[in-house]
Amino acid sequence: MNAGNLLSGFASRLKPRLADLGSRPRSALPQSEFNALALELFALQFQHVSPYRRFCEARGIALGSIDDWRKVPAIPTSAFKELELTSLAAEERTAVFHSSGTTTDRPSRHFHSAESLTVYEASLLGWFRQHVLGDWDRLIEDERVGPLDKPGFILLTPPSKAVPHSSLVHMFETTRRELASSDSVFTGLVAADGAWQLDLDATLFAIRKSMCANRPVTLLGTAFSFVHLLDHCAANNIRYRLAEGSRVLETGGYKGRSREMPKAELHALITRHLGIPTERIVCEYGMSELGSQAYLRNACSADGVPVFNTQALHFPPWAKVLLVDPETGAEASEGRPGIIRILDLANVYSVAAIQTGDLGVMNGDGFELLGRAATAEPRGCSLMPA
Amino acid sequence: MSEPLPNFFLADLPPGDSLTPAIVTEACRTLKRNRERYLVERNTASLVRMISSVASNWLDPEYPFRKQALAEGPAATGFSSKTLAQGLDTYFNSITTDRLTNLLEQELGHVDRMDQPSENTIDREFDRAAIATGPELLAHITGGVLPNPAFTGIILGLLARSAQFVKCASGTSFLPRLFAHSIYACEPKIAACLEIAEWRGGSTLLEDALFAESDLVSAMGSDDTIAALQKRVRGKFLGFGHRVSFAYLTRETISGFSLPKLLRRAAQDVAAWDQLGCLSPHVFYVETGGKVTPEQFAEKLAQELQALEPEQPRGRISTNDSAAIATRRSFYEVRASASAETRMWTSPGSTAWTVIFEADPTFAPSCLHRFIYVKSAPNLTTVLRAADRVHRRVSTVGLSAPEDRAAGMVKELARWGVTRVCAVGDMQNPPITWRHDGRPALGDLVTWTDWENGG
Repeated sequence: MNAGNLLSGFASRLKPRLADLGSRPRSALPQSEFNALALELFALQFQHVSPYRRFCEARGIALGSIDDWRKVPAIPTSAFKELELTSLAAEERTAVFHSSGTTTDRPSRHFHSAESLTVYEASLLGWFRQHVLGDWDRLIEDERVGPLDKPGFILLTPPSKAVPHSSLVHMFETTRRELASSDSVFTGLVAADGAWQLDLDATLFAIRKSMCANRPVTLLGTAFSFVHLLDHCAANNIRYRLAEGSRVLETGGYKGRSREMPKAELHALITRHLGIPTERIVCEYGMSELGSQAYLRNACSADGVPVFNTQALHFPPWAKVLLVDPETGAEASEGRPGIIRILDLANVYSVAAIQTGDLGVMNGDGFELLGRAATAEPRGCSLMPA
Repeated sequence: MSEPLPNFFLADLPPGDSLTPAIVTEACRTLKRNRERYLVERNTASLVRMISSVASNWLDPEYPFRKQALAEGPAATGFSSKTLAQGLDTYFNSITTDRLTNLLEQELGHVDRMDQPSENTIDREFDRAAIATGPELLAHITGGVLPNPAFTGIILGLLARSAQFVKCASGTSFLPRLFAHSIYACEPKIAACLEIAEWRGGSTLLEDALFAESDLVSAMGSDDTIAALQKRVRGKFLGFGHRVSFAYLTRETISGFSLPKLLRRAAQDVAAWDQLGCLSPHVFYVETGGKVTPEQFAEKLAQELQALEPEQPRGRISTNDSAAIATRRSFYEVRASASAETRMWTSPGSTAWTVIFEADPTFAPSCLHRFIYVKSAPNLTTVLRAADRVHRRVSTVGLSAPEDRAAGMVKELARWGVTRVCAVGDMQNPPITWRHDGRPALGDLVTWTDWENGG
């Protein structure tokens, strides 16, 4: 069988499993099943993603020499800038997601086909619904919303037509299409220099509309876009109280375009200016090189119980995190910070084992993000503390 | 454990005791009074003797301050004890009576210039004598973790007869403090003209108090820090921004019988002060066409760094610094797996050292802590073009070249803006006569008074 068939076979077995696990709260994938799937996928990717095979071979790793998912060679996210890490033939590629970054930098390229996007979406939707809209049914029961109502989204990014290579916007667009009401709206723009901007008028109009209708609304955007919105609210003394049940999904990505703001401060400002309480602010951690996303469980969990655990991010059961001690390269000992590695089974057609440039620390069954490893260019002695 | 140091300098105070602008002002005024009493009239010869005697003490393995530096240094500075010992030995070996005398002659044209109106051959031509005067209070703002710039600053300031206030960057006052205490142990009155303090850069109230009392401020730091400080200093200001350095090895010298020695010296340049100084190399450019290829040179350099590791272990580094190295290594591991033009050698089980070979000569800034690039160099002109991103920001070039080529290469480097060329192996070891960033060492501190007799 050719590459496409073998990987397609894997993908078609995986998809229903993802949909099932994603739809059930507190679902788990038995360790042995995860391990078996990870090793099977590693073998397929070793055979069919040639730059990945060369990477493994340079480490002296042969097919069949790995028996534990933790030992699957993780490719750094920066490799997506240098290499075409995909099993898809050029004619099969229908989409490519780029990493955000400075324009002078070569972006990461994660190629997709119609089929690989269906895996991406199967991975996305259930886990998203659980973390962002987990209490929607309760709102229906409480008659806060109608039984047929879908949640209204205000998406603070440009629409996918304007930014077809953004994995974040593809994610937003997919959730809008599948989960949101038809009057949901993207309120971001692309400026002449390619930077993302927020159409403040459109955003405030959509917010006021939801308030008039007393309908809970979901605001989704990058931290940068929220800073922009909140700066405007602060400057104009705007203090809204969005309808009860409204919520925020906020994801990293300042992209150097706005002042950085500690999360706690950002969340306090969201509460002050939009009237959305902390427990309804969900943080997302994802990247164009991954097929799955992790969330901070601030929002109500699926059974309607507010979960106030606050710092730990959780990937779905089909994506596991391993922290690596940057000094020794071995698995970080308990409670110690390490470089975040992820084995994401939803990355069927590229490489499942990814090493990020981020540092984290384990916290319960999740992990905390400590920040980016300093990949910024060193400038001689500027590296030294001033 | 050594005895704790007595509370003599502000930096000796427990960390909890916070400084105020009034304390800084009072310290400056005391320094100036003490200078008037103990330093202004001291003659050069006795100061030179005092400084060289302190320096030779530091070379004695039994000297208490040295022992304390090596015992507590790893925790206080992040350098391993052996790296510290190597760095201190190299530095203090270069501070001798002869060299200090040479410095005065080089900078001021006569060894007695700071003592009395004096004349050299040229002055006599003009029937003139001249005397130089140093600033009353000299403030140093240090940047970085290496102690050498602070040591040198203090020595130059003493020769200029200045009261001195040394403001160290956070977490870097340990070695300057020990040096000041070693001066105190030798001559308390001279040390009474010296203050060592530490505070976080940008503490404007403290800094403004210091600047208000200072006649000259000499500052090191990032270009942004220097620019910001310059705006706030009303008097004379000497700013030294951050610089990068590299080395260039010609095909002739890597082909000779002395290659093993050259490799050892190259490794020492990487290991010295864990590569954390502006004079430490980021890249070794190795000319093509020699008996060893640049790639083979890189491999041999890796072996040399591995051999050096037990002798001078790299210091412990933070998780963030380890992560920066690990992340950079992953990037090159990928590149090496995809192209024969990149190779990587790494210390096993640690980030202690890393050698990256790239055929591409484009200058690459290292993430330091003994992370070195070796790059192919067709010729010097190509390298300088490939180093365009650091044009005018290069301090030192370590050069290994045959005699008949060296002078021409130095000229080319000078025209391009390099301010120091030295032998490979000496990059972190500038002499006390070094003209930092191409400027006079002592000459920048003094003001001249010409006395014209003739008519």
